Amino acid sequence: MSLKNHQGQTFVSRKTKAIFIVVGILITLVVLISGKAVVSYTSSDKYCVSCHIHPMADQSWKLSAHYNNRTGHIVHCAECHLPPEGHGYLLAKAKHGFKDVYGYLFKDSARINWEEKKLLDNARGFVYEKSCLGCHQNLFPVKLSVDGSNAHLFYTTSKEPLACINCHLNVGHYDKNALHAHNTNFGVAVTINQANYSEATHVEKFENFNEKIPGSNVSFDMVAIPGGKYLMGSPDNEPLRNSDEGPLRKVTLSRFWIARNEVTWDEYMAFFRATGSQGRTEGQVVTKKNVDAITGATPPWGAPDQGWGKGSRPAITMTWHAASVYCQWLSKVTGKKYRLPTEAEWEYACRAETQTPYFFAGNPKNFTSTGLFRKLFKPDTAGIASRVVYKVNSSSKTKEPQSVKANPFGLKNMSGNVAEFCLDFYSPDTYKRDTTEAVNPRGPDSGQEHVIRGGSFKSDAADVRSAARDFTKTKAWLVTDPQMPKSIWWYSDCIDVGFRVVCEADNSTQK
Amino acid sequence: MENIDRRKFIGKTALAGIGLAGAGAIISACKRKPDSQALGLPPILKGAPKGKKLRAGLIGVGARGTGAAINFISAGPDLEIIALADVFQDKIDACRERFASFKLPIPAENCFTGFDGYKKLMALPDVDVVILATPCKFRPEHFLEAVNTNKHVFMEKPVAVDPVGIRSIITTAKKAAAIGLCVVTGTQRRHQEDYIETYKQVVGGAIGRITSAKAFWNQDHVWFREREKEWNDMEYMIRNWNNFCWLCGDHILDTHVHNIDVINWFLGKHPEKAVGYGGRARRVTGDQYDFFSIDLDYGNGVSSHSMCRQIDSCSNSTGELVMGTEGYTNCCNTIWDLNGKIKWQFEYPKDENGNPMNAVKIPPYVQEHMHLVHAIRTGNYVNEAETTAISTLTAIMARTAAYTGRTVTWDDIFKSDMDLGPKKIEFGPVDMVFETPVPGTPVAL
Repeated sequence: MSLKNHQGQTFVSRKTKAIFIVVGILITLVVLISGKAVVSYTSSDKYCVSCHIHPMADQSWKLSAHYNNRTGHIVHCAECHLPPEGHGYLLAKAKHGFKDVYGYLFKDSARINWEEKKLLDNARGFVYEKSCLGCHQNLFPVKLSVDGSNAHLFYTTSKEPLACINCHLNVGHYDKNALHAHNTNFGVAVTINQANYSEATHVEKFENFNEKIPGSNVSFDMVAIPGGKYLMGSPDNEPLRNSDEGPLRKVTLSRFWIARNEVTWDEYMAFFRATGSQGRTEGQVVTKKNVDAITGATPPWGAPDQGWGKGSRPAITMTWHAASVYCQWLSKVTGKKYRLPTEAEWEYACRAETQTPYFFAGNPKNFTSTGLFRKLFKPDTAGIASRVVYKVNSSSKTKEPQSVKANPFGLKNMSGNVAEFCLDFYSPDTYKRDTTEAVNPRGPDSGQEHVIRGGSFKSDAADVRSAARDFTKTKAWLVTDPQMPKSIWWYSDCIDVGFRVVCEADNSTQK
Repeated sequence: MENIDRRKFIGKTALAGIGLAGAGAIISACKRKPDSQALGLPPILKGAPKGKKLRAGLIGVGARGTGAAINFISAGPDLEIIALADVFQDKIDACRERFASFKLPIPAENCFTGFDGYKKLMALPDVDVVILATPCKFRPEHFLEAVNTNKHVFMEKPVAVDPVGIRSIITTAKKAAAIGLCVVTGTQRRHQEDYIETYKQVVGGAIGRITSAKAFWNQDHVWFREREKEWNDMEYMIRNWNNFCWLCGDHILDTHVHNIDVINWFLGKHPEKAVGYGGRARRVTGDQYDFFSIDLDYGNGVSSHSMCRQIDSCSNSTGELVMGTEGYTNCCNTIWDLNGKIKWQFEYPKDENGNPMNAVKIPPYVQEHMHLVHAIRTGNYVNEAETTAISTLTAIMARTAAYTGRTVTWDDIFKSDMDLGPKKIEFGPVDMVFETPVPGTPVAL
């Protein structure tokens, strides 16, 4: 028995080998005979579309400048999505081919998040700079506009890694919301359905109130947060924590109001319309001294809402400076003291008297999508998905506040949706500096970047923990901005940051 | 990596002459004497070659403009001035008379006045070359129009008064390069044989590694015009352009840029930052300074001291000095060793009595036009606009350092939105204050 068995196995093994050899020879012959033809056939539009079962890619390509243009020249799939021959063409073709075959066999096209794949960060993985430059050899055609010329000069002199698609993301696939120009109409078209508020809400007691922005029909909820003590940061044994979250520090805070929601587009546009400065020189920093004549943001480049809509979605892409000018303006029109929250206030409001990784029950390890384990098992989303807009459930967009449940203080989207500016400068060792009990603590006196908190719709579950810290990255977030100097009002390369306001409970209400 | 690849690519496609970077690379790479072409040096010609007749239009017909136009026609055969443009009729008349006296009449219908005269001139299909010699505030728009209308260009230095203008010059230079329009700028030292031969010595290692430099243009006061009764604000400022920063860029641009350009050329790069002083002691009109003293920091401990002054009865001199580990040079004709002994000297041609002259035979002001015509007629492309823009921006960085009292970096100034002068250029009252800058006053860069 054992001998026969052994022989049988040997036979199968030989047969397999023979098949492999024969098939191998055949493939080699086919490749040798038809090599060029096969390579070029498998790079044809027809071949691409035969597997890439996402018809919108095909349609949006046909509407784009790379297909539908005056010259009648069509730029084909592989001319952008593969590097030019001699620049790693076959290697890239093999890499993408392998991914495509895998996706075709094992993935459901309808469930792939195509919107997410269109985002710049992802697109850079399958649009080749050398291919752009291979066709676009003259970056300074005579009729190029002044803005275009300056942008290309910026590109050719930039020390930062900058890709053509940083600015020209939609040239290959049309997007009706994309705008490659200064958005001078931004905030200009206003429809007024109801009477504007003539004055701000009068507040006598320290309790929740609905603030009305005078001169607009916009109002928003402020939640009264009682003063108290808490442990700020995360303990050493909290799963997936970072070292800048410790050591735990005892913090005492005075009471304050904080907005129930992140500042919405409706709220931000009220500010933009009231203070917007068409064509004002960039770079003039507004100081506290001249709040009487607050000059607000210049028109943005492109669509700051990313075409997702405004309304009650959180306002995004404004700079920290713009957010802080917003608070000055809001203070002026309401007669109250609005500002960005300190980092300590923010975490206190987010925790809402919890001391766990999240303001709800759950272990970050079970929620996270990172790590080897997650390649095999899907993360747990129960508990978190109904409360936090994060990478798993966001479809790569912000969401409106009604899509999530509030925290115990009644605040929404403290974790996730958009990361929120804090008043303080960031330092990784903020907590180490004073280990004694801190009263209304502030961050370092000076610094380059400010704290942002709460993670965003792009974040993993680990980064939407109550103690998780992050900071602004001014240089990286302005890489694409072609203006000289760069905008002080709008980030060109950050779409997941916003803010919420705090109102100080000043003496008049402390009785 | 991506960035480096892209630069290579752009380097290959852009035809712009081997710029500062290229020369710098060669300086550090080898000690033997490389040939002129590899160094991006212009040919030294006895005259422009024969070829198709080239007709030029002159824009800005004052003293330097008229001079440049005469230099142009004396550069070689079949070169003509056929059109003039200037904001003032009296200037046009004077220039036409001058050319008529050479029996080279310029037809009246080809003479245009007013701020848009240049557009009308450039619209003439017969004009092959334009000579841009107005106050340099207007250079960027004139240069752009010239390239839009397919003209080869000779333009005077400096090429702009502010960073917005500089970026316009650089991008227009790239546009010109893309369609093969030649551009020569009036930095004549780069066309002067004695400077060129000295440069070759330095590149060949004659003074070792460069350790420091100085550049100076100290002279008596320059011309100014007192306001006449019938002049409106704009007419007054333009007739007295040499004394208003928005038109002239201050004398650190207007004249000292020559020396700064030589230092950039010899050092093979532009400075990284500037800090310095300046003030106004004796100037009578306008808003400019009359002295500057600036430290231009080229990095790695190498600085150039840039000074310029326009005040009477002081020590005057103009020139450059570059110091190295094995000697020093005046950039112009001599190399000394560290003990002050002459190592090398340029041999000037001899006069009819056999004595060496103290200058090259063909004036550099003519040589530069020979170079332009040579490039157009032979296809040996030339485009000096970006190099001169970089030197002009160096001077702007220095000026800003003095005006503000603060350190100004290359990045600051390259990206600055400083855009001097009235937004609307027209004759009449100008509702602006032209104050002399006081260091220490916050000024938006």
